[in-house]
Amino acid sequence: MRKILLLSIFLCFQWLFASAQGDLRLKWDSPETDFREFAAKAEQQLNIRFYYKEEWISDVKVSLQPGYYSLQSVLDMLFAGKSLHYYIDDERNVILTLNFGIKTTGAPAGDETAYMPPSQYADENSSDDDSGNLYYDIGNAAEKDKAGDVTVSGYITDRDTHQPVSGVTVFVAKNSAGTISNEHGYYKITLPRGTHLLQYTFIGMKEKQVNINLFSSGELNIEMNSMLIPIKETVISAEKNVMFQRFEVGMEKINVSNFKLLPSPMGEADIFKNVLLIPGVQSVGEGSAGFNVRGGSADQNLILLYGSPVYNASHLFGFFSSVNSEVIKDVTLYKGGIPARYGGRISSVLDIGTRDGNRQEFAGKAGISPITTQLMVEGPVIKDKLTYMLAGRSTYSNWMLHMFDNSSLKNSSASFYDLNGKVVLDIDKNNKLDLSFYNSHDAFRFNSDTLYAYDNNIVALRWRHFFSNSLFSQITFNNSNYRYNISSTDPAEEAFMMSHRINSTSAKADFNWFMGRHELNFGSDLIRYSVLPGKYMPENDSSLVVPQIIDDEHAYEAGIYVDDKFIVTEYFSVNAGARMSSYLVTGPGNILIYDPDQARSILSVMDTLSYSKGRIYKTYGGPELRFSLNFRLSAKSSLKLNYNRTRQYIHLLSNSTSISPSDTWKLSDYYLKPQTGDQYAAGFYKSLPKGIEASAEIYYKSIRNIVDYKGGTKLVMNSSIERDLIDAEGKAYGFELMLKKQEGTYNWSIGYTYSRTLLRTTGKNSEEIINRGEWFPANFDKPHDLTVTFNYLYSRRLSFSANYVYNTGRPITYPVASYSVGNFMLIHYSDRNRYRLPDYSRLDLSLRYNGNLRSKRIAHPSWTFSVYNILGRENVYSVYFRKEGNVVNGYKLSVFAKAIPSVTYSFDF
Amino acid sequence: MRILKLILYPGLLLILSGCVTKFMPEIDESRELLVVEGIITDQNETNTIRLTKSSPLDRKNTIKPVLKCIVNLSDDLGNTWLLKEKGNGYYVTDSTVFRGVLGRSYTLRVDTRNSLPNGYNYESDPVEMKPVPEIDRLYYERVLIAAETDEAPAKEGCEVLLDTRDSGEGCSYFRWDYTETWEISLPYDVTNKICWVTNNSSQILLKNTSHLSQNNISAYPVTFISNETDRLENRYSIFVRQYSISEQEYSYWSRMQTMSEQTGTLYDVMPSSVQGNMNCIEDPSEKVLGFFSVSAKKTKRIYVDELFSGLPALYKDCAVDTVGPTGKIPNLGVSLWIIIDGSYEIPPYRVLTDKKGCADCTVRGTTKKPAFWESEYKHQE
Repeated sequence: MRKILLLSIFLCFQWLFASAQGDLRLKWDSPETDFREFAAKAEQQLNIRFYYKEEWISDVKVSLQPGYYSLQSVLDMLFAGKSLHYYIDDERNVILTLNFGIKTTGAPAGDETAYMPPSQYADENSSDDDSGNLYYDIGNAAEKDKAGDVTVSGYITDRDTHQPVSGVTVFVAKNSAGTISNEHGYYKITLPRGTHLLQYTFIGMKEKQVNINLFSSGELNIEMNSMLIPIKETVISAEKNVMFQRFEVGMEKINVSNFKLLPSPMGEADIFKNVLLIPGVQSVGEGSAGFNVRGGSADQNLILLYGSPVYNASHLFGFFSSVNSEVIKDVTLYKGGIPARYGGRISSVLDIGTRDGNRQEFAGKAGISPITTQLMVEGPVIKDKLTYMLAGRSTYSNWMLHMFDNSSLKNSSASFYDLNGKVVLDIDKNNKLDLSFYNSHDAFRFNSDTLYAYDNNIVALRWRHFFSNSLFSQITFNNSNYRYNISSTDPAEEAFMMSHRINSTSAKADFNWFMGRHELNFGSDLIRYSVLPGKYMPENDSSLVVPQIIDDEHAYEAGIYVDDKFIVTEYFSVNAGARMSSYLVTGPGNILIYDPDQARSILSVMDTLSYSKGRIYKTYGGPELRFSLNFRLSAKSSLKLNYNRTRQYIHLLSNSTSISPSDTWKLSDYYLKPQTGDQYAAGFYKSLPKGIEASAEIYYKSIRNIVDYKGGTKLVMNSSIERDLIDAEGKAYGFELMLKKQEGTYNWSIGYTYSRTLLRTTGKNSEEIINRGEWFPANFDKPHDLTVTFNYLYSRRLSFSANYVYNTGRPITYPVASYSVGNFMLIHYSDRNRYRLPDYSRLDLSLRYNGNLRSKRIAHPSWTFSVYNILGRENVYSVYFRKEGNVVNGYKLSVFAKAIPSVTYSFDF
Repeated sequence: MRILKLILYPGLLLILSGCVTKFMPEIDESRELLVVEGIITDQNETNTIRLTKSSPLDRKNTIKPVLKCIVNLSDDLGNTWLLKEKGNGYYVTDSTVFRGVLGRSYTLRVDTRNSLPNGYNYESDPVEMKPVPEIDRLYYERVLIAAETDEAPAKEGCEVLLDTRDSGEGCSYFRWDYTETWEISLPYDVTNKICWVTNNSSQILLKNTSHLSQNNISAYPVTFISNETDRLENRYSIFVRQYSISEQEYSYWSRMQTMSEQTGTLYDVMPSSVQGNMNCIEDPSEKVLGFFSVSAKKTKRIYVDELFSGLPALYKDCAVDTVGPTGKIPNLGVSLWIIIDGSYEIPPYRVLTDKKGCADCTVRGTTKKPAFWESEYKHQE
């Protein structure tokens, strides 16, 4: 009796359950139709609503015998064997999905507004919201019990801009497996079958977590959302998982949304000031263009914009960077472990990735600061197919100069402008073409008779072709041109114009191939260099100057490379690569031959060799091995080892302590050998509780054929410079410690570097020996370097940041003794770089206030107030000595000796 | 080239809050190195080589002669002459025995083993004597420093310039030095009222004409006489010596000039010791300072007699006290001197000064008229 009661109750419930699902009994009496018609009929009959994507059901045909059917059984039958699923909710909505089934409890979806309260983001547990109960089915369920590992792959794009996002970490904690999306946004990860939780993380984007049922190899494309408010304000990216996955020791990635918050002089967001915060990167001092990476000179850094080299990366003598931060998407600095696809510089590669224009709608940004003004516009020409972006900057600093009492300064003017542009055409799903250009111009007129001007011009054309899901290619052509002119009209008889130019044209092909557990990169590139070392011409007809032109230099640099990222086991992976580079010096050229037993001087010339145009008369080259090992020691720590060799064929001749405007580029030639560097590095990384990350890297670098100069050499318009160059070798070593916390409303980082750079001359003649051939510190040898940054996000409108920099003073040569010759009192200097300047210490603060955040407003303004060098410390840039009467007096020169406040206003539209 | 200097200034434009303050570093080495200097010319006169030691920078620069060295000169034909020690570090050639000849190359040898604890043998590179053109024209120009105002007259200065024209010598590298002599006259009737003051050039004067189509120099600024000196008060004379130097010597002086006179900006050339042309035989790494110079020489002299406006009154603050005609003046001749003796005036008085220079011109110069001083006023050509 009881059993019958229970059974009937059960049946009642079953029936109730069936009813709850709706009276979804369909009466069908139509002939074969397509799904669309079927859905329309069903909607009408049953008062339901279908949701689906056209393309999913385009090949579904409904062919039923007339009769009554439950909707569910019809759908089950129609979708069998396809990856389609359906879900019917309480509101009589029938939702179709591809690849995954919905198993939620049916809570209504939230309203997406433009800005959400920060609490939702600041909460560290927010990442759980996304995973929830969504499970995606990957692959064919029928294969779920087969043996062996399978792959999940796909494209990761930014939800708003639809642009691929490279460098996204895809991590599966359970298996400690991971990978990173390549530059086309494509990733591929190998896992055993089963359920997994995939985490997608990238700086500046909201982390995404996806649960999957992995049955067999399949595709999973992901869209990620940008962070609406830049919470992760620390400049240097150290995504938790990235550090474990990267095979390259010594790689740092900077995301653009963060570096604009850093305080800087004149209130300008500057990519190079941010690069200086990375441990291992130092500058010679304020007002010096260029930076030093791990004890390398400033010309040993390859700075790439649109994949093309930038030969003078500064405006206004190094006080501003030459790259407009509005066009930058991200910046990657390789200071060790330089991948095989890059070559030509010893110490580092700074690859500036640029954004594409907005594909959906017209947008722009304008800004004003005390000295510069800028405007950027972007938008689609054909929506989602052809987009453009144009950005420009200019100064108007002349008003400040006219305020000085000094009459020379009053009659002077200083200005620059730059222009960046990019046009992107998506030919089809597998082909993308983009054309970019960069044009900059700086001009300084001193006292109305002297003019110094320089220009950079870069043009690049790139074709990205995707052969398949595993093979990608990129072909680039670019041309980069840098030149400067100095002219003077006083005195009139000697009015002159001096110029210098370097031009490089290159063609590159890069391929990226995913093959099982290997990711192969291979390709080749060819660069043609043309340098005009110096040209000295009369400026007008009344000048008596004899034209003097130093012969042009021409050369070709070619490289071919292959490298393989091989995941050996879960705990160990290898990146092995080799680059073969060669360099050919071509004529026309006239080479003086000197007596080999004597120092090269005008007295020891024996012969002259002449080569005709195009004739190759000197070659250099050799293999460059790039090799890394990556060990995962635990879920939270990893160890990396790395070796690489690099060669550098062009040099920047500079014998002042910082890069000066009249420095010239020179190609390796008959006498000047290319530089070769070997670097050994090891890095240890650990993820500590509370979101703190720690890393320690140690390196040793040895460099051969460094260019050095005899004392007091004049490098400008020196046609026989081989007489003044000295060959030297160098060694650099150090360790870099970094501790940082990247998440939450407070975040901070502390970086400490200990590094030494020493040089030693290798010549035999007394003129070619510096400091008796002993090791001496290089100009940028600063043993201790401490950088502390701190950011506090008070609310979504107001943020505060501070940074503190301390480093040992740089080496300097001091005068030691004075002596008289005739009636002159002259000064004798100590050994090169025997002493040091006082240490450098500086604290900067800034406050950023975002105006109205309402999404409906046309313009979104923001203000930045910053104070540079708030301690007002007179950091010594240089010490010099002047003979005044019979006494030698010493002076110290400080740049930015006082605190400099500034205000910048900008708005987005 | 002036390129470097021209670029350095624009860099300074941007050092808006930059500043410069005095600074003396701590040096833990103080070396006293041998300094060899001197010039062998083609004139019929003695040539002088001076040997001194350098002084550490943190002490006052005093000249420390090196005595008792053996110094000899030889030419490329095998002749040798021994220089005679004149004292105070000077070693001279005997003009009756030696006169420099155009076209010959000379080598200097110095042996300091008798005089210094770390004595060595030093030898110069051979240097050829090249011909030099005449100074075509040595002249001066009036320069206005400050215009006339209601309170003060105009201030003027004098720029001494020269022109040289190549007449086949093929000389492309020039160096000059000069000696100025001027007459001063104290405004008081004292025993030593008129003196002549002498000063030698203290700057390195160079010119390189190898980049010009003709080795002509026009309006080269030799010196600028400002209105802060009384050189132009009475009569002024400048004697300029023009030398033709080798490219190596030009390069030496040019580097010295760059390093000691053009510093103080962001783009300073890295200083380092510049190699002269003296080498140490026993220890090639031992540094020897100075340069052994061999050159033909041409000279010229001009006088400046014109009146210049706005000259300083150097002796206007001499008088410090006025006393009676008689009576002992304490410290007379030691710290006080009489400049005006009005004992015979009515009323009688004597004016005193506490600056010896106001009462005795030999503080600054000599009362002995220089041998070359022309008594006729010579007009500018």
